[in-house]
Amino acid sequence: MMEKLYGYAGQTLKVDLTKGKIIKEPLDRTLVRRFLGGRGLNGKLLFDLVGPDVDPLSPNNVLLMATGPINGLLGLTTGRIDITSLSPLTGIFGNSNAGTNFAPELKYAGYDNIMVFGRSKKPVYLLIEDEHVELRDASDLKGAGVFETTDVLKERHDDVKVAAVGRAAENGVLYGCIIFDYWDAAGRTGMGTVMASKNLKAIGVSGTGSIEVADPDRYYEVARDGWLALMNDFGFKTQEHSVLGTAVCVGWGNAQGWLPTRNFRESHFEEAEKISGEEFRDRFSVKDSPIPAGRACMSCPNRCKRYGIIRTGKYAGTRGNIEFESIAAFGSKCGVSDFDAVFHANMIANDYGMDAVSCGNMIATFMELREEGIIDDKFLDGLDLRFGNADAMVEAIHKIANREGKIGELGALGSYLATKAISEKAMYYTSNIKGMDSIACDPRAAKGFGFAFAVASRGSDHLRAHPVFEMIKLPPEIGQELFESPEAVDLRKYGGKPEMVAWHEELAAITDSIGSCRFMHASYYTQYPVPELIHKYLKLKGDVHSLKYHEWISAATGWDISYEELLRIGKRIITVERVINTRRGIRRKDDTLPERFFKDRIPKGPAKGEVYLRKTFNKMIERYYEIRGWDPETGLIKRETLKALELDDVLSVLEKEGLVV
Amino acid sequence: MKKLIFDPELCTGCRACELACSFINEGVFSPSKARIRVVKFDRDGIDVPTGCEHCEDAPCMIACPVRAIYRDEETYAVILDPDLCIGCKRCMIACPFGAIGFDEDKKIFFKCDLCMGDPECIKWCFTQAVRYSTSLNVNTTKKIKMAKKEATAQIRARDLR
Repeated sequence: MMEKLYGYAGQTLKVDLTKGKIIKEPLDRTLVRRFLGGRGLNGKLLFDLVGPDVDPLSPNNVLLMATGPINGLLGLTTGRIDITSLSPLTGIFGNSNAGTNFAPELKYAGYDNIMVFGRSKKPVYLLIEDEHVELRDASDLKGAGVFETTDVLKERHDDVKVAAVGRAAENGVLYGCIIFDYWDAAGRTGMGTVMASKNLKAIGVSGTGSIEVADPDRYYEVARDGWLALMNDFGFKTQEHSVLGTAVCVGWGNAQGWLPTRNFRESHFEEAEKISGEEFRDRFSVKDSPIPAGRACMSCPNRCKRYGIIRTGKYAGTRGNIEFESIAAFGSKCGVSDFDAVFHANMIANDYGMDAVSCGNMIATFMELREEGIIDDKFLDGLDLRFGNADAMVEAIHKIANREGKIGELGALGSYLATKAISEKAMYYTSNIKGMDSIACDPRAAKGFGFAFAVASRGSDHLRAHPVFEMIKLPPEIGQELFESPEAVDLRKYGGKPEMVAWHEELAAITDSIGSCRFMHASYYTQYPVPELIHKYLKLKGDVHSLKYHEWISAATGWDISYEELLRIGKRIITVERVINTRRGIRRKDDTLPERFFKDRIPKGPAKGEVYLRKTFNKMIERYYEIRGWDPETGLIKRETLKALELDDVLSVLEKEGLVV
Repeated sequence: MKKLIFDPELCTGCRACELACSFINEGVFSPSKARIRVVKFDRDGIDVPTGCEHCEDAPCMIACPVRAIYRDEETYAVILDPDLCIGCKRCMIACPFGAIGFDEDKKIFFKCDLCMGDPECIKWCFTQAVRYSTSLNVNTTKKIKMAKKEATAQIRARDLR
């Protein structure tokens, strides 16, 4: 009998759709000791299982879904799940994360992760009810929306937790997502498109098992201290984020001058208050504000999910959760201030099962291309797709999801591949990095965020790092002590930003790998050693509470992990992702920002005149590579880095391919 | 007498109560072993916490053929004694709230005992959707809340005069 693996369920579920076979295996203990679970585990599995020449939409690609050691436990947010595969949108490392009840349920059913191989001949769904696992025919659900699919599975199988793909993914929209229980999307990099390409329509799971931790008394203490750290966090105390959800960023971003407007032409939206978090609360929210409000992921006191309903007017009946990113994508980026339309756009994107960020960016790009005279009405299939036209925007979503006309055909590819197909000139107007559309923050106005986009392993994205640190006016001494520069706390300055992004990336890799949430160490700053430093420099009285991921993981698993080792594991995870990208052709030239951000100054608003200085950016890249142990000339990883991170098996593969320095 | 109050209006559906409950009572994290349960209606955005209401006229207590269910005099909790329980599940069927659980591993029935007057679930409920207070309090709070709306209308009307 093998020693118990505390904190984990202990089993891996392998599903071969080509053969229709399901295999249960013990979870690889060595692997989780080194990569924890979730994103870390998935990244290493992707490296091991999928070679550099595999097409993301071929049966040889593998879809990986993993939980981590704290998923399903009591603590500070334990519901997040990680999905990894090759991305059909970018052709490189694809990865997305969602806040769910699905991840804990999977563990209660007895499985830490699911690996999906091959392709089924006919549409199927996977049903997991504790030890009973089977593939069921889903022919009747082909082409069904996410909502209908979720309804049907819940009805048939006694309220199972559901992960589903929608029609957009089935139609080959490259940014199809996987949606959990109606509203929670693993949105980015087209993970749903991969799932649909395997003819896997949905996964339903219910579980009745238990998860044990290694040291219950210590676990309780550590979890409680993390909880108290959040209660004492000055950002949390305002309750702004809890009450308004991520939509709080509409007002916040607009005031700080980083709210992308009209496809990143500007960074201040004059009508932002019409699509703000407050507006959502007052018009659509169904739960009482200010204190209760919202809905939460598993074991999370922050409850940032907004649920609302449109009661009257053209879009009456529209309902669901909404996040800042989708508000900005369909709102300010498209110049649309009609909140009903934005909310409706978000709901239909969810039901079609496509990433609201990429979809909104795509439409905003078409709007600008039309204004620049690069595409015409014929291309747009008769749509009057100008900035601010809400009706045309909603219509465009339908066309893209159903791939109607030229706009639908190209719109399904995402702004990078679509503009590439249009013309060289068109490409200037996309805000993609490594093929992925940027999220809602203007790099010129937030230098750390911008830098994080450039180096993110899944392409332009804030969530690899999420360095909110620069936005919340912390004492400069903390910037100095943690990131070697007092400028690190200043949104518009460059000092300390590579260091800041690196630290945030490492902790983010950890949260994604254990199953917790980004907001607990970056948004709120509850993670050791930040509360300690705040206490010191603001000369606060009383006890300091902090969330200590290392102690949290240690108490759950029984391993003895220090803060230093934690950061090293984070580094290892990021390095493996870089290796996957290296093998698929990513080099230093790809770690950059869209030209527009180096060339065009922000024309107006609070960040007027800001631009990203190319020279400074290049120096930052060099500094970042130095921290990461990558070669400054090529962007390849150095031998010594891989050795220091005990990635010898990875090194030997790279040696054979000549991809190491 | 204090009772556990379950308030769907305040519940965020985070289920920390379920985890705190199974941990304190069974030493593991397992919603199926928890005495409290949040039923989620995701499509409609509603979460309903449910659990034992420690009824005045408790059907489980009446249904039990061996008096394994009794009322604790101090906390007024309805308590199931697993040593006396013969495992017939009559209580489970009689309970209108589904508050009696069955532990598949230990093969015994279980229910909420209010943690002997110090319920763990409420310590993790940030919005106080699950709270421990007297029934009268709930009553009064609701009356005040409804009356406030009426009062606001009265004040408006008075100002208009």
